[in-house]
Amino acid sequence: MIEVQGLTKRYGPKTAVDGMSFTVHPGRVTGFLGPNGAGKSTTMRMIVGLDHPSAGTATVNGRRYAEHHAPLHEVGALLDAKAVHTGRSARNHLRAMAATHGIGRSRVDEVIDMTGLAPVADKRVGGFSLGMGQRLGIAAALLGDPQVLILDEPVNGLDPEGVLWVRTLARHLASQGRTVFLSSHLMSEMALTADHLIVVGRGKVLADAPVADVVAGATGKVVRVRSPRATELEDLLRRAGAGVVTTEPGLLEVTGRSRSQVGDAAADAGLPLHELTEVGGSLEDAYLQLTAEELEYQSSALDQTTGAFAPTTEGALR
Amino acid sequence: MTTTTRTALPALPEARTSRTNRTRSGDGVTFARVVVAEWAKFTSLRSTTWTLVATVVAMVGVSVLAAWGTTIDAVDAGTGPMNLAQFLGAGYQLGQLSVAVLGVLTITGEYSTGMIRSTFAAVPRRVPVLGAKALVLAGVVALTSLVSLALSYLATMPFHDALGARLDLGDPETLRLTLGVPLYLVAISLLAFGVGVLVRHSAGALTAVIALLLVVENVLMLIPLRVIELISPFLPSTAGRRLLFDQETLTAVDAATSGAHLTPWQGYGVLLAWVAGLLVLGAWLLRRRDA
Repeated sequence: MIEVQGLTKRYGPKTAVDGMSFTVHPGRVTGFLGPNGAGKSTTMRMIVGLDHPSAGTATVNGRRYAEHHAPLHEVGALLDAKAVHTGRSARNHLRAMAATHGIGRSRVDEVIDMTGLAPVADKRVGGFSLGMGQRLGIAAALLGDPQVLILDEPVNGLDPEGVLWVRTLARHLASQGRTVFLSSHLMSEMALTADHLIVVGRGKVLADAPVADVVAGATGKVVRVRSPRATELEDLLRRAGAGVVTTEPGLLEVTGRSRSQVGDAAADAGLPLHELTEVGGSLEDAYLQLTAEELEYQSSALDQTTGAFAPTTEGALR
Repeated sequence: MTTTTRTALPALPEARTSRTNRTRSGDGVTFARVVVAEWAKFTSLRSTTWTLVATVVAMVGVSVLAAWGTTIDAVDAGTGPMNLAQFLGAGYQLGQLSVAVLGVLTITGEYSTGMIRSTFAAVPRRVPVLGAKALVLAGVVALTSLVSLALSYLATMPFHDALGARLDLGDPETLRLTLGVPLYLVAISLLAFGVGVLVRHSAGALTAVIALLLVVENVLMLIPLRVIELISPFLPSTAGRRLLFDQETLTAVDAATSGAHLTPWQGYGVLLAWVAGLLVLGAWLLRRRDA
């Protein structure tokens, strides 16, 4: 369990993390989603005590990270794939890390096998690809067999097989009852991996909910209905209080009613239906909508010259 | 899910039910373990091995050159028995440079590669890392200096008779000059380590240490300002080096300078005080700074 309360980090006049509060629970994969520069990495670094908060607290399993007697047994963290001396071999790096906790060499060999590093374990890390560096970082995180895993952008630089491996690993670790906290700026990856999402932008928490709720809450569910007697159906649904938009002749988009409610209403009135579909908003839509105004680097620089503020993601609101 | 089974998942970690008990039973970070880890780091880098080999070669080489040079110098040849300790320690000037480089890189190498974040994630209290690194560094430099002295003794053997030189460790001054080499080099490596902890960048810290050892103190001695004359004897290398001077040299140096005239051991004490000051400041900053 990770608990973050009012966590703030200021660098001079710039506030990187602005009063974040959230709890990451065991037994599920919690995604930490936000655009670059949203404060994800800084938050994770403060959780493991590398950066000092300007205000607020972060605890893991009830204590500040630095207060743990055996931190590697409590928390495994991949914060930066390059946090390794380039002149040392992967095996020697892991052995040195393990030695601080009296973890034996057999466990080092175990995590090397687990992460598929065996063929390169005795080569110097300086020659590693980004993907191999990520695997080494994950191996280091697993060394102490911790109950809490914090992985900052773990799929960065991995090939498709590696991405799948990380996804499976994260889900497997969560299924064992461990706390898995995983950051990414790739919403598609989060949709596949996470159970729960904490969406951040400009150092603030924008949403903290199960993946499905984030999607539904941000975009709303839409039921698409096709009927030869669409105008009658529209009147009927309007009178019942639903939101209805005619997108083309014979095609309605209904909000505020479930698919079954729309279907039942049509049947009661004896109106024929040719199509009845629930159009779920995608996580991508939800994410873009949530972060539209929080993006640090707007891609619509043109808007500033015309003076009109038009979020690039307006389409997602539809 | 069929694709999942295809992926290489040789051995996903199994939940260990005994984990909690194991963690509670003192299976955590201890200073001794941090020392073992720092030793493992130190010995698993090729650069440290090469730096140590270079130190030994340089120190032995200078000893041999000094001994050989003296034997062919007719003027000195007839001045009676000479103290061999002078020749064995002759390479300290060169040796101090390479152990200073080693001291600086011990810590700045971790900052430049990002390793420091892994180190502090494993030992979040941080100060034990500083202590363990200093201990490993001091031990390795002491051993390297002793090896250099022993090899210098062997390598200068062909000249011992010609020099009329002997090594009488029962003589207090000879013992001081001999043991002074490892003591001085250990202190210099720790001084450089302390500067590395403060500066954190390899190039900056190396420049600062080498400038201090080779340039600043020597240049200051030439400036006839009263303030500088008062301060100069207490600068780290000026003070510490007195441990390596025989009585004749000490008298000559004191005649040429005003200001305080420290005894060899007082001088070494001043150097150690500099080291302690730097490391205490370093430890304080280490805890406060973001890694």
